[in-house]
Amino acid sequence: MATVLVVDDSDFMRVRCRQLLVGEGFQVLEAGNGQEAVEKYREHRPDVVMMDITMPVLDGISAVKEIRKVDPQARIVMCSALGQQAMVLEAVKAGARDFIVKPFEPDRVVATLRKVLV
Amino acid sequence: MKVEFINPFVAAAYHVLEMEIKAPISKGELRLEEAHYTTNDITTIIGVVGKVSGTVLYGTAERTAKQMASAIVGQTIAIFDKLAESAVSELGNMITGRASALLEEAGYPCKITPPTLIIGRGTIISTTPFQRLIIPLLTKYGEVTIAVALKETPNVDIRGYAPSVGGVG
Repeated sequence: MATVLVVDDSDFMRVRCRQLLVGEGFQVLEAGNGQEAVEKYREHRPDVVMMDITMPVLDGISAVKEIRKVDPQARIVMCSALGQQAMVLEAVKAGARDFIVKPFEPDRVVATLRKVLV
Repeated sequence: MKVEFINPFVAAAYHVLEMEIKAPISKGELRLEEAHYTTNDITTIIGVVGKVSGTVLYGTAERTAKQMASAIVGQTIAIFDKLAESAVSELGNMITGRASALLEEAGYPCKITPPTLIIGRGTIISTTPFQRLIIPLLTKYGEVTIAVALKETPNVDIRGYAPSVGGVG
């Protein structure tokens, strides 16, 4: 069973993702900001990370860079309301494998995570 | 205020609200307001920085906010609690995020701050009154207003702007 670290400062979004992913057979860990995500990644080494961008303490792009220092093979999917091309490029340059724009269709999230996990 | 700044918010709001609350919405009459305080029970404030800069406010009555939060969370929310606050803030975040992508396509790249939620009418949010264009959106749960106060800022360089600046959302 794959473990997903869901990183989002929105309680609502973490609850929604947890409900969706647990229902699809994933184990879910949660972090409320980028700094917490880096710490949880170090501790638990999840199979994949779903990362928001706009967050307090440490933003998602900076967190991707920090996680990739810990594990250059880390599988990270951005999940953000910011769908600008420049932001997508910045995320991919930082090491993200894919980008999901909120609001999302549940099927799209599950398909993206499964694709990244192959 | 340029019409190019308004249409992205209308288009984004239709997309996000119809997808999240799963019900059609319609647009009311646009109007101008000038105030330095909140005018709704629940207000989500999001800053915009870039080639277009300013503030966008999303306002609703508490009853509407609770009903919308119930619809998007999938459970009845009787008290406007932390989860409801988070759901309503996230709606504003998703609308502004999508609008910022449309603004980028129109030649106005910009970034947004995390949402700040204010509960209560009459809370002072600026030292001086500022003009906002009000876009009323009618949903089956009640009215949601988008107040757009944006201006073109052609010489701003947003490359170094950190998206975590601006509050907690």
